[in-house]
Formats: sequence, C-alpha cells, structure tokens
Amino acid sequence: MKFMSWRIAAAAALMAAATICRCAPSQAGEALGAKVLEETCSRCHAALPSGGFERISEERKTPEGWELTISRMERFDHVTVSAAQEAAVVKWLADRQGLAPAEAAPFRYALERRPVVESPDDTDLAGMCASCHTYARIGLERRDKAEWLKLANMHLGQWPNIEYVATSRDREWWKLASTEIPAKLGAKWPLETKAWSEWKTHRHANLAGSWRVAGHRAGKGDYAGDLVIRPNGDDHYSITYKITYSDGTKSFGKGSAIVYTGYEWRGTVRLGKEKIHEVYALSADGNRLSGRWFRDGQDGIGADVVAVRGVDAIAGVEPRFIRSGQPSKLTIIGSGLKGTVQLGAGIVVDKVLSATPGAVTILATAAKDTPPGERAVAVGKAQSASALVVYDRVKAVEVEPGIAVARMGGNGGPIAPALCQFEAVAYTKTADGAPLRIGAMPAKWEVANFDETAAKDRDASFGGHIDRNGLFTPGLAGPNPKRGGYDNAANLSVKATMAEGGAAVEGAAHLYVAPQRWNDAPIR
Amino acid sequence: MKHLKPINRKAEQIERSAEEGKVDEAQVMQVVAGCTSVFDPGWEVDPFGGVAALCQPVEADLYGCADTCWWPAQVPDTINSYPDWNTAAPSAERDWRKLQTVFPKK
Repeated sequence: MKFMSWRIAAAAALMAAATICRCAPSQAGEALGAKVLEETCSRCHAALPSGGFERISEERKTPEGWELTISRMERFDHVTVSAAQEAAVVKWLADRQGLAPAEAAPFRYALERRPVVESPDDTDLAGMCASCHTYARIGLERRDKAEWLKLANMHLGQWPNIEYVATSRDREWWKLASTEIPAKLGAKWPLETKAWSEWKTHRHANLAGSWRVAGHRAGKGDYAGDLVIRPNGDDHYSITYKITYSDGTKSFGKGSAIVYTGYEWRGTVRLGKEKIHEVYALSADGNRLSGRWFRDGQDGIGADVVAVRGVDAIAGVEPRFIRSGQPSKLTIIGSGLKGTVQLGAGIVVDKVLSATPGAVTILATAAKDTPPGERAVAVGKAQSASALVVYDRVKAVEVEPGIAVARMGGNGGPIAPALCQFEAVAYTKTADGAPLRIGAMPAKWEVANFDETAAKDRDASFGGHIDRNGLFTPGLAGPNPKRGGYDNAANLSVKATMAEGGAAVEGAAHLYVAPQRWNDAPIR
Repeated sequence: MKHLKPINRKAEQIERSAEEGKVDEAQVMQVVAGCTSVFDPGWEVDPFGGVAALCQPVEADLYGCADTCWWPAQVPDTINSYPDWNTAAPSAERDWRKLQTVFPKK
C-alpha cells in the first residue's frame, strides 16, 4: 500500500505539472483590489489618461514593498483600509507591478530575513540610502529618475534631520540626494526593463499537487518530507506538511500560501508547535520552490528549503557530505526518482537500501584517495549539481552567521528578545588548497568577551547565553540594576569547537547584543 | 583634544580612538542587514566596532533619538511618523515597557 500511495502521488504531481495555466484570478479578490485603488487610492492619486494612477503606476515592488507603501499611506496620510482590502490591493499591485525573478534575486536575503552582512555594489547609493535601512529595500524597487526624486523629497520632508546625521552632514547632502542619486537610481533600477517585460506575460503555474521537500534547519539539522498543495483560487493555496528530521523527529504542518507575481510564494504555516513564515521563489517551469522559512517573531531561527514535483527532480541529499574511506548512508530526496544512482568521481554505491519515487537511500563509499570537492548527484535522468561534498578531514570551522546581532527584549516589555541561531560549519581544502565548505556539524559552544573593553564591562556575564545547539538568547531589555543601571548590550565572541582526529578545531563569530527595534518593517 | 578632558568612559574611548587613528576604520559600508550605519553614537554598534560607546542605558536618551529621527528605521520618529508613540511613556527609563512596536501583527 505504501508504494501504491507513492504511485498515486507521483501521478497527481504529473497531472499538476501538466496543467500549467493562466490561473483565473477570483472575481472577489480582483474586484476588491481594483475597488480599493479606484475608491480609496484615487482620492489623492489622480487617474491617468493612459490608465492607472499618478505615482502608483510609476513604481514596481515586491509584495512586501507594496505592503510598506499601504502602511505608509495609513500612517502619513490617514488612509483607512481593512486587512482584507490591504491584502487584495497588495496582490493586485504585486501581480501587475512586481519584480521579475531576476530582479529580486540579488536581494532575496532581505525578504527571507537572512542574518547576513550586506555587500552593496554601489558605495554612493549605499551611503545615501542604506545608512538607515537595508540596501535591499531600494534594490527591490523600480522607478524612473523623476519618481526616485520624489522618494528623496518624501524622505527629507518626513525625516528632516536626515541631512544632519553622520555621513550626511559632511557633504552637500541635498544636492546629491536630488540630482546624482535619482539619476543613478533611475539608470540602475528603472521602471521598464527587459526582464519585467518578459516576465509579466509569464503564465502563472497551478501549484496544486504533491511535492517532495528537503530542508535544513540551522541548529537542528536536515529534514525531508511531503508537501501537499490544494488550490483555493486566485493564487491562494491550502498546504499540509509531513516531515522527518534526520534525528528522527517528525513534524506535521498545516497552513496557507499566496503566490504573488507568478512566483513569489508567501506561506504561513503551523509546523509542529511553531508558527512559521515561508518566503520561497517558484522556478520558471513551476516545478521547484526554494527559499527560507523563519519562525514567527524570531527570524533568526529558520530553515533553507527546496520543494520539487514531477519526475526526475532532486530536492536534496541528506547528509550533504561524505567522508572519504568510510561507508556512509545517504538519502537522495526528490520526486519521480527512478534509475541508477551516480555520485561522481571516486564514490561507489555499495548498496541500495531502499528506493521509492520520493527517496533513494544508499550505502556509499568514497575512496580514500578521492580528492575533496563537490560532486553532482544523479538518479536516472534526475541530476543535481554540487549536491554532495567529499572530504577527508575537517581542517577549519567557521561559525555562521559570522557577524550577528541579537536584541535584548522581554523583561515585561512587549518586544521579545531577538534570538540568534548559530551553526558550526566544517571546512576542508581542495587539492589546490582552496577552502571547501563541507557543511554544518555538531560542536561545543561557548560565549566569550570579544575584547578587552568587553571583558572590563563583563559583557559575557550580562549579554546572554548560548545552548548546546548554538542558539543564543540575549539578556533582558531595560536598565539592569545589577549592571549599575546600564542595559545588557554586549560585544561577544561566539566560539564553536569540533573534535577531529583527536584534536580540537575552532571557529568563532562576532556577536553584538543590541537594543530592541521598535520599528520592524516588512523589509528592514 | 588639548583643551578638552574626558569625564566619562565614552569620552575616554573617543579620545583614545582619535589618538590611535581608529576613527576612519569604523566608517565601513558593510553592516548586518537591518542595522544602521549611522554611528554617532550608533544603535547596534558604536563608531569603534563595539558597544561601550553606545548610549547607556539606551533608555537614557531614547527620546533624543525618536524626536530627531536619528535612527528612524529602528526607533519610531515622533516628529512626523509616530507622534503618539511615547505618549503613554513620559519617562523612557521608567516606562519603556509601555512602548509598542509600530508594525503590530495584523
């Protein structure tokens, strides 16, 4: 019966994959979105002779970007919309004036709320725009020069001290903000682009069906399972999960999702005891979802996820590394898997332990003299590049994220502490000496003062604590009487130690314990 | 610094960093996503890459940040966007627990 269920699931997935269609938006959602624009937004934004509305039609954004716009209208201009009206107008706008996948790709980390250090590609724009908020926040919008200038005007009017903070007051801020910067932004991120003109005619996929999921939750490990998607119309879906972590823990999930702009999946799920938010991107062929979910109110905790459907599709390999010279059990997770398993040069499949269309478990051995490196994995016609890493020994450890910020909270206040989940990532070296990332492995964790000043201030005693899985909980918010009325801000080093061949291999991250944020926008 | 004498720890650190020529080193463009790079004196990180020169406790000068919109993406500005944010909390040091996030869940 078990195998029968897989066959049925695979058939359903095939049928779903074959029904790529222009999904008819539900009349109610479409009508409500249009009504909000015509009856509420148009009170200030005049209708254009060419169609659309002033300003509104001159911008493109992500769903979160439009959410921010509506929120700003509510705050600054006292617009009142219900939650249903807001949801409808955000969907309406994101579908018609969103970003193409290629446009959003460089900045998905901000949507996925990944704890990363930004690396802006333009110092002038970063200095002007990313002192307060992320560089991604502007990188996820498209406007022409005149419209970017209006955004600069809004900033000066709304936050008049913007000219006087550090990195502004030392130059002719307004001259730059009103001339060079809008021109640069309009050239770099204009309203009309080839990517968008191509994508906006892309047919939306019907995602209903059975999918296979492979994920990696930092601090807990890999997981695999099933995702079943049921349609509710207008790109809205009901979803259920059945997943199993590599430690044997099982979890069930139930929730809903909306697909904006034909590819921007936003799900809200009760997974086990946790509420999570999913930010995934759908591939152009409609058969692969990838991205990150994060815990509600704790986006430092989350997982990387790939979901696939159809035939000959690999979602991931669990674990994602194999030590040379040791027989190891590997599971390839995918959809419609059938055929011979190949793991690349130097790795032999000793035995197939089990094989279904959704998972193939094998015993494999990498030869002792196999050079360390990434390997492609194949099951029949299904292929996945760089899905597996062969290594001989752990030569270095890096703690991820390498620089992180936790935030004080709680202590009777309404804002919870913002936790940080760290992972110890093992590295080896390739034959030519280049660092090779193996993957996350268990480690012993410790928090220490970052420097002499931190030691003098006893930051490690007040800043917070880390558990055995690398989860850091910062100190409580508010002035601390035990610290002479100072708060629990801290400058810390997070150290991870792995045992390798009788020796200890260490890595460290830099962690700041900072005040809470009372302003936490959908895009920071 | 000849005519100025530091009278607290933060001032000492500023003086020491200026003497050691470290001020320019702190002016980096790379920051953790969502944090500010306005380091005078900084919200998450101070100009010297630590936390010792931040306002301490943060509540001591919180409204000095809010009404001048010094870090408007972290602390709500009360000059324009959220004029009523701290109405119920006249003293930040005493009443900080009454301060709500301005992006409540819907």
